[in-house]
Amino acid sequence: MIHQPPAGARDLLPLEVAQKAWINDNLQRVFQQWGYQRIVTSTLEWLETLTAGGAVDRTKVIQLQTAESQALGLRPELTASIARAAVTRMAENTFPQRLCYRANVFRHPPRGSHGKQMEFYQAGVELLFAAGIVADAEILLLLADSLDALGLEDWQLILGEAALGRSLLDPFPEPVRETVRHCVANLDRVGLQELPLDEDLKAYALDIFDLRGEPETILARVSQFDLGPEAQEIVANLKALFALLAGSTQKQLPIILDLTLIQTFDYYTGIVFEVVNFANHQSYILGQGGRYDQLLGLYHPQRENHPGIGFCLNIEELHTCLLTSPQLPKQLAGSAWLVIATEPNAQQQVFHYAQTLRQGDEMVRVEVELGGRSPAEIYAYARSSHITHLAWIDPSGEPKLETL
Amino acid sequence: MLTIAIPKGGLLPEAIALLQQVGLDFSAFLDKKNRQLQITDPTGTARAMLVRTHDVPVYVEYGQAQLGFAGYDVLREKKPDVANLLDLGFGGCRLSVAVPKASPYKNPRQLPPNCRVASKFVNCAKDYFRDLDLPIEVIPLHGSVELGPITGMSEAIVDLVSTGNTLRENNLEEVEVLFHSTVRLIAHPTSYRANRHNMLDWVQKLEQIL
Repeated sequence: MIHQPPAGARDLLPLEVAQKAWINDNLQRVFQQWGYQRIVTSTLEWLETLTAGGAVDRTKVIQLQTAESQALGLRPELTASIARAAVTRMAENTFPQRLCYRANVFRHPPRGSHGKQMEFYQAGVELLFAAGIVADAEILLLLADSLDALGLEDWQLILGEAALGRSLLDPFPEPVRETVRHCVANLDRVGLQELPLDEDLKAYALDIFDLRGEPETILARVSQFDLGPEAQEIVANLKALFALLAGSTQKQLPIILDLTLIQTFDYYTGIVFEVVNFANHQSYILGQGGRYDQLLGLYHPQRENHPGIGFCLNIEELHTCLLTSPQLPKQLAGSAWLVIATEPNAQQQVFHYAQTLRQGDEMVRVEVELGGRSPAEIYAYARSSHITHLAWIDPSGEPKLETL
Repeated sequence: MLTIAIPKGGLLPEAIALLQQVGLDFSAFLDKKNRQLQITDPTGTARAMLVRTHDVPVYVEYGQAQLGFAGYDVLREKKPDVANLLDLGFGGCRLSVAVPKASPYKNPRQLPPNCRVASKFVNCAKDYFRDLDLPIEVIPLHGSVELGPITGMSEAIVDLVSTGNTLRENNLEEVEVLFHSTVRLIAHPTSYRANRHNMLDWVQKLEQIL
């Protein structure tokens, strides 16, 4: 038997672990500063919980074979689990709830995908029981602050509005509306042009396709459309949100308003967004999120609905983008020591000295030489392990210090 | 810098001509002595990659090329996750079912269940026969698909036809058209949404000359 991780699973070696921990620690620090508290939910959940009433694609969830009568799955994301926890066990708490997490998630690779990774790490936040543009603004500003804390500068936010995106399609007659939606969501402009629509509707469809760009410009453009009262309200709220954001930070948020950002599987009811970064001729989705005002009602014992909004950041992608940044630690922190007994009866003194070193400095890494190696071998080991300090202890306890 | 994936072979000259019309000159690819697979245009504005037709969508899907020229036939076959922006109008052909002239089956529906159909377009062939509710065995081939029925390996083929000469010269006849194909402008979705390298400008320029 070859003992390798199964296809789609990975081991993380020490430096990568340290780097990802640095990313996670910085994110949690920012989340905490904004008043978010860490929650840990179960990795295993009922499949029913994880599929969020059909909003999450069942085929993506990795299911487990157990003796239970109901199917169990590994969580593909955290929002559904946190929503469940918040309306059941945390029902007595005061509103709003600010919760954050760092966790692994599991997904079957999408059909036709070329990579087979199944386990991913995410860090994110959920702001529950709070509706309105101030909550929306907090989430976007927190997102910007989080990326800032990692030293990431070259990113953009592609932001859409789920309800507005849907209501813009209302003028299309029922059977063709689904096809229009599919073409718009998948950026199939040729597909739109080939649809059996009359002149006006076709021109309208192509106009919708191009609703992407600088927020003020796009909002002005969409205001010219013949919008119903609900859509008009959404547009007004978006204008207010951008006005609020503009004056609320020193650095303007790099936002592209894209009303064609429609997903097939999702629980988003309001703003929905993706964080993108382009580096090394690649594009990375660093994170995603949105407002989900119908999700909590699925899990509430009395089916009461409550609003929620959040985002999650993808640790692997963040790590890849930060590899060239000077901020990411390039080696394990703290100085490394090797304490060596010059003679066998100095071993007790070695343990004492090693412990003194550890008590003197939190970040220090002190190894004890286990014996059976020549000085030359010890020097070779020290160099290859990036150990910079050697302490030779003789039976009297006297240390002879050496720096490599 | 904006990178465009363009297909090798028969489609290359028209692809280059089209790009020249919007001010990007990649005619160096037409030089028989050229061995470079990626070049920058003389004004240093954009890069082009010379790629096999079926690989264009791969580079665009992964984002190494923000734009690409790919046949509708390749898009139907590979179903890549790319934005489908313009019908560039050249490279016209059709994907059809063809059988030997001597074949008793003049309609794909007459083919016996579980017979063999040879094709380079495995997914298109499978999808088409599934829609007919006719089970068949698809034999994947990379080229010279006409040899399938000639050698008796398959009853029929699903292959690209443009003039029909190759079919005629191999004693095959076309019995049904699955779809018509032209070359399309495709784009990497995220790059397109973010208007990377101002690519919207180039898309509009291409649309204007069509």
